Amino acid sequence: MAKVKSGEGGALTTTIDQAMEWARSNSLWPLTFGLACCAIEMMAIQASNLDISRFGSEIFRNSPRQSDLMIVSGTVTKKMAPRLRRIYDEMPYPKYVIAMGVCVIQGGPYHLGYSVVLGVDRVVPVDVYVPGCPPTPEALTYGIMLLQKKIRNEAER
Amino acid sequence: MVEIIEETKGKDGRRNLKVAKENLVELIKDLKSKGYDHLSLITGIDRKDRLEVVYHLHNMKENVYVVVRTETMDERMPSISSLYASANWEEREQYDMLGIVFEGHPNLKRMFLPESWVGHPLRKNYDLSKVQYVNMDEEGNDYATFDPGDGW
Ligand code: SF4
Repeated sequence: MAKVKSGEGGALTTTIDQAMEWARSNSLWPLTFGLACCAIEMMAIQASNLDISRFGSEIFRNSPRQSDLMIVSGTVTKKMAPRLRRIYDEMPYPKYVIAMGVCVIQGGPYHLGYSVVLGVDRVVPVDVYVPGCPPTPEALTYGIMLLQKKIRNEAER
Repeated sequence: MVEIIEETKGKDGRRNLKVAKENLVELIKDLKSKGYDHLSLITGIDRKDRLEVVYHLHNMKENVYVVVRTETMDERMPSISSLYASANWEEREQYDMLGIVFEGHPNLKRMFLPESWVGHPLRKNYDLSKVQYVNMDEEGNDYATFDPGDGW
């Protein structure tokens, strides 16, 4: 007997959402945003030892228009903050931010200085904090995996 | 011959010359004609009652350095940017951080901080408790403000 289409099928939306989030979490393309010493450790996650392509983050893009994820790695100075905000605003939605290193989290070794922003969360919303000075590339990889988990859970909220 | 107040040798064997402010340009001109063709660094030191400016000159052919020190009581120094092109930015940096005014400099503006920043941060009497914030206006020029709601 042929099935009558009734329009009922509530589970379907959730499934599409989940599929979308799964796809999105596995194609996080980071933006190159190295500001200080932490950037050296950030570069290491792209290299062959800890290749982040395994988790779908293919390459670091140089344009904010082509990226989903901003890894802020290094000291954010007051002069850089308006530029950081502008670059963040230029990224298309959905966009995510990882704060890497104590400098980005709360000013770090320079928190008494005249020129350092005390935490990038004053400038842009942050999704994952990776503490350390500098955090190891493994820690940053773990941070990216946590962010993927967070994105996948967005559908189930 | 330029009068040198004091000549010492540093730990690394560098000649350390101390001159009066009035003789600085003459001495540097002299050293340049003797083969010191590269100005590698200009630094400033705040000694509370006076400001000290240190010039590091490098002879590329023989690979020797010479350090020239001089002091100023009134925050003014003669500019050497007509002798070395790289002195232009180095002097701007010293002006930005320590407030040393280089007389005869073609473009003495702040190097790193916005033009409206109050004070010179490497001075000993700079007040760190008055936090300043930086923001960008529509044209893309920076400005400094004391208002935490307007800037970072
Ligand atoms: S957290 Fe440490 S390693 Fe990272 S930018 Fe700051 S000082 Fe450098």
